[in-house]
Amino acid sequence: MLVYTIKRLLALIPTLLAASILVFLFIHLIPGDPASILLGDTATPEDVAALTREMGLDQPIWKQYLLWLSNVLQGDLGTSVFFREPVLSVIGDGAETSILLATMTMFWIVLFGIPIGILSATKHGTWVDQMTSGGAMLFASVPTFWLGLYLILIFSVGLGWFPSSGFPSVSDDGGLANLRYLILPSLTLAAPNAALIIRLVRASMLDVSREDHVRTARAKGLHPAKVAIKHVFRNALIAVAAAFGFTFAALVSEAVVTETVFSLPGIGRLVVQSILRRDYPVIQGVILVIVVLYMIINLLVDLAYARLDPRVSLK
Amino acid sequence: MTLKTWSKSAVAGLALMALTGTAWADGMMRYATVGEPPSLDQHVVTSDLATTIAHHMFEGLYTFNAANAPVGLLASGETISDDGKVITISLREGVKFHNGQDMTSADVVASLERWGEHGSRGGLLFGNVASVEATGDHEVTITLNEPFGPWKNLMAFINGGPAIYPASVMEAAGKEPIAPENYIGTGPYKFSEWQPNRHVELVRFDEYASPDGAADGYAGERKADFDTLRFIPVPDVGTRVSGLKAGDYDYAESIPGDLFADLDADAGVTTILNGGPIFGLVFMNSKDGPLQENFALRRAIQTAIDKTPALQVAIGPEGLWRANGSFLPDGNVWYTDSGAENFSMGNAEKAKSMAEEAGYTGDPIKFMVSTNYPFHYDTAIVYTKQLAQAGFNIDLQVYDWATLIEKRAQPDQWDLFFTHHGFVPDPILISVMNDNYPGWWTTEEKAELKAKFTASSDPAERQAIWADIQALIYEQVPTMKTGDVYTYNIASPDLKGLGEATLIWPHFWNVSK
Repeated sequence: MLVYTIKRLLALIPTLLAASILVFLFIHLIPGDPASILLGDTATPEDVAALTREMGLDQPIWKQYLLWLSNVLQGDLGTSVFFREPVLSVIGDGAETSILLATMTMFWIVLFGIPIGILSATKHGTWVDQMTSGGAMLFASVPTFWLGLYLILIFSVGLGWFPSSGFPSVSDDGGLANLRYLILPSLTLAAPNAALIIRLVRASMLDVSREDHVRTARAKGLHPAKVAIKHVFRNALIAVAAAFGFTFAALVSEAVVTETVFSLPGIGRLVVQSILRRDYPVIQGVILVIVVLYMIINLLVDLAYARLDPRVSLK
Repeated sequence: MTLKTWSKSAVAGLALMALTGTAWADGMMRYATVGEPPSLDQHVVTSDLATTIAHHMFEGLYTFNAANAPVGLLASGETISDDGKVITISLREGVKFHNGQDMTSADVVASLERWGEHGSRGGLLFGNVASVEATGDHEVTITLNEPFGPWKNLMAFINGGPAIYPASVMEAAGKEPIAPENYIGTGPYKFSEWQPNRHVELVRFDEYASPDGAADGYAGERKADFDTLRFIPVPDVGTRVSGLKAGDYDYAESIPGDLFADLDADAGVTTILNGGPIFGLVFMNSKDGPLQENFALRRAIQTAIDKTPALQVAIGPEGLWRANGSFLPDGNVWYTDSGAENFSMGNAEKAKSMAEEAGYTGDPIKFMVSTNYPFHYDTAIVYTKQLAQAGFNIDLQVYDWATLIEKRAQPDQWDLFFTHHGFVPDPILISVMNDNYPGWWTTEEKAELKAKFTASSDPAERQAIWADIQALIYEQVPTMKTGDVYTYNIASPDLKGLGEATLIWPHFWNVSK
């Protein structure tokens, strides 16, 4: 497994190189430039050209790419054009929010998604199954911006239980209590994802429950709960593990709508804002980090397969 | 841990987190902004949001009172030579920068020189400046090549204007905005921190030396009652409104017109109109394409458009817009109806015959607009329909703002483009007066009137010349004004001292809660 892991980590290098070239080319091909955004509407073309020169953006693209690449190899992702801060620090701020948000969301997904999925599968065909499946479909269909705004109206404006928006860092005043800022957004994000996990757990468990070893277990007279958890759920977990991995990665990188509704300083909003501002160094840095995140999660999912299913061998 | 105990722990944890919220002290004012400014450097950045934050930190030699007249801020007075070419400005003494240094004429000279060379609006004045010299520790002398009437208005307009920084900061400053660690000014609040996507925070400057006199607009006494001003980006308007109602913000900006009636009737919210309207502008290309020199065709386009329906669609409630053809609003010293009879004719038949006479044969007219500003797009949709009814073949090209501002710099890419303009206290600051602004209006008639306008220091004469310039704009149509838009913000009723309307940018000195 160690050799396999090392091989997979080495495979990161060409993938990252290819991704960085593609991202660099694409963002420089779209019209618009950071100098115009910085200087605003009243800037003349001469002003924009002068600032473009000062920022080194008048150099040929290949030259800019090589300079950026050589800096990246030394651990320097550059400086944000917009914030005038190292890109690593800007991404670090966003990553704190995104990782905590994704973790709290995963907590809700596991808390609600797995037990309800198991219940739905074990009560297959009954009114309990119909209720849980219907509820899951409803939550999977509700747009997150709509759900988010209603949660704000009820729990922030109406009841005053939770803050409506923002997220001060846990290293700022308030410490861990600042996590309360993430409760409504994580519930908003968890709703559609938990619904999908419910459906997935239910479908996987139903598939497994028709297999011979389950029939044998039941024939042996094992308790139905033991059959459901030890023989059915354990085997259904393989498909669910993959879904968890990619849900986590997607929650970190794609929670743009929820981050916008709740004004969270996360990675998703950062990348969209950076594209609108043409903040090239931040876009490149964030995409690179997201590619690494997806590849590592992919690797972890593959390693988890081997743990969950002894038949899977990693070479 | 069983599922039952796990659930119990989770609920207990949630309750704890909900109850242990930080109680915000009354000493902090929390302002929900629509986004983040590109920088707070006032010399080079003209974003209104940047100025809303930065004018609490940076001050210029002059500012505007409630009547939009320029009055001293860091300047204590000035004398002007008889020929109008030598301006000697005396500075207030005892003014300290946020780094503890005294402000002297060396700082003022360094700041003015950087603004003149690299500032967004500095070239307007410094194209005519022979020298800027420190003629005493607290005296600066500006020598002009020719008399320049609007010099004081330009100095007082802090947005893209001559904020005074320490000379040590100016030494290394170029076109690129200065970095946050160099945000050192003389204002009642000083820079504390900028957490990307979280907030920009200013704290009270305890050694602030306030100007004398009663508060009057941006002039007079400035008292910092809050310990901290925190500007928080909240891009979603629903969240800005809900957040203010929930008590998470004290002030929220850029609220759309369709919410005005409800919010105005809500006792838990104070609505504050912006006294200085913004206005949309549709620029026409004077460098390339079918409209290049064809003033008759431009007038045909102008004749086709009825501005009122577009304002109703794009803005909403009548109290928030005015179909006003004067480039500066009613009640302002620069208000004039000269040429404004052509502002909103909406006569499709007349426009069609005017276009035929102008030689228009149905070639596509490229009209660029951005969806970043909903009122641009909504207005452009109405105009496109009205122009189509008058027989114009409009090719509406929709871009994001960054793309539009790059394309508009290329004369072969467009014929019309939509933008908007903030309220300015002197018409010389309106973008159409800038020969280099995309559209590139540089006719002889304009040059002649502009020269007279800037050379005169007599207010009445300048107003009369401006009326002639506005008439020329309606005749040559380098741009079409779309009407005045009164934006509004909302505030917690707990905030005291806001007044009924903001001037241009809201300010939070002399405000408390």
